[in-house]
Amino acid sequence: MVKAAVNLVEDIGGCVLFVRDVLRTAFYSPCTYESICVQIWKVTIQSLPTTGMAGFFVGAIMTVQFTMQIKTFGALGYLGGLSTSATIREVGPLLIAFLLSGKVGAFTSAELGTMRVTEQIDAIRCLGANPIQEIILPRFIGIVISSFFLLATGLSMSIFGGLLLGLLFSGINPEEYLRHIPTIVSSYSVLSGLFKCLVFALILASVCTYKGYTAHGGAKGVGQSVVATAVMTMVGIVVADWLTSFLSETALKLFGGAGA
Amino acid sequence: MIAFNHVRKSFGSREVLKGISFAVPEGHILFILGTSGTGKSVLLKTIVGLLQPTSGEISVDGVNVVGLDEEELFPIRRKCGMVFQHPALFDSLSVFENVAFGIRKHEPDLSEKEIAQRVSQCLELVHLQGIENKKPGEISYGMQKRVSLARTVAVRPRILLFDEPTTGLDPVTTRAINHLIFELSRKLKTTSLVVSHDMHCALEIADHIIMLDQGQIVDQGSPAQMRESKHPLVQDFLREAIDGESGS
Repeated sequence: MVKAAVNLVEDIGGCVLFVRDVLRTAFYSPCTYESICVQIWKVTIQSLPTTGMAGFFVGAIMTVQFTMQIKTFGALGYLGGLSTSATIREVGPLLIAFLLSGKVGAFTSAELGTMRVTEQIDAIRCLGANPIQEIILPRFIGIVISSFFLLATGLSMSIFGGLLLGLLFSGINPEEYLRHIPTIVSSYSVLSGLFKCLVFALILASVCTYKGYTAHGGAKGVGQSVVATAVMTMVGIVVADWLTSFLSETALKLFGGAGA
Repeated sequence: MIAFNHVRKSFGSREVLKGISFAVPEGHILFILGTSGTGKSVLLKTIVGLLQPTSGEISVDGVNVVGLDEEELFPIRRKCGMVFQHPALFDSLSVFENVAFGIRKHEPDLSEKEIAQRVSQCLELVHLQGIENKKPGEISYGMQKRVSLARTVAVRPRILLFDEPTTGLDPVTTRAINHLIFELSRKLKTTSLVVSHDMHCALEIADHIIMLDQGQIVDQGSPAQMRESKHPLVQDFLREAIDGESGS
């Protein structure tokens, strides 16, 4: 138990120091725009269909759940607003980020871990280059940008999924479904959802690059780093979800934003 | 010249190098032999700062490399080219880009034409041509090892470090790689340190041989001196080498 706690603290500390190195490299010796664009393209193309589909079904599930709840109160007119609010503010970013941690996070961690155990990272150092600048920074920035974009795309698809299920399952026409969205979902809710997406993207990029870069011990070590990436990212995302919700609520109280 | 002075290296409570001292004069080929897990690769990696020794001094051309940070190690790494146990080629880059990688880093002022010429020369040195556009995954393991050699010599190092360059290769490719090491060392007039299990090859091309066992040098000398060694481990390696000779 004590050992696990020490390992956890070591992991968090190591990750923070690693991100500090990445940011320092970004500032003093940035990588090329081309290498970032390659990563953005790679991550986006790999995960766009899955994220879109996941987003669609998250919206659809929320609509089905809310229909069952509010039908008895005769408040089906608010279905669009309630379903979209819950999806954008909480469930959507969380579930889509989980999905990305399994897909983008595991892939990147395995890719970097393999580079580490096959001595490619040592070779980069021996050839007089900085591995953080050459392979970590483009992936880090690429994953943050793509994940943010993918999460936002997933959320858009969730509205579409909710709309479609609202029509097919609950019998609400699209106009009625969309009409109450602006009354319940304020611009503040959208911003809060997007802020969560950004935080989740940062956690994902930090953990998967860190765990991949520090992998050791051959194929087994790569496997362990992939598992650790999935676990650490998911736990990190859940904790960040609570934290961002808390911060959003506090900001809402302070600045008096309207809406749910 | 490379000199080790009482170098020790521990991983936790396990001491891998126990006070190693030796020197390699410029232009010599030194073979470091020993069974697996005796600290041969660790010893090689400490020269270029991939691992830091626990204590002792390692001097490369008079500069003590122990304790230097990544930036300070850059001129040392510029002098040393390292061929790893794995080919360690970058999977996402073509053979051409792999060989050109170090050149672009070391000599950013070179034109694309000059880089292409250098890459072509280096691939010719390792007897590989016409595979510039292939990815590492599309060529054999032996070819990957040779590309790795080409990538290392492309930056024109004065010191070549080979970490088990023939591990996992068939006897024919092993012989070809060993011949290449000799050829490159003589042609490019480099100082070479080769970590290996191959006594047969060491006797053929080394100027000096060191036998490591459990982190300590148990015997060393010229190939002729090693042939006369009475140390049991050296005898074991010699027996294997003689069996190999008679087998081939």
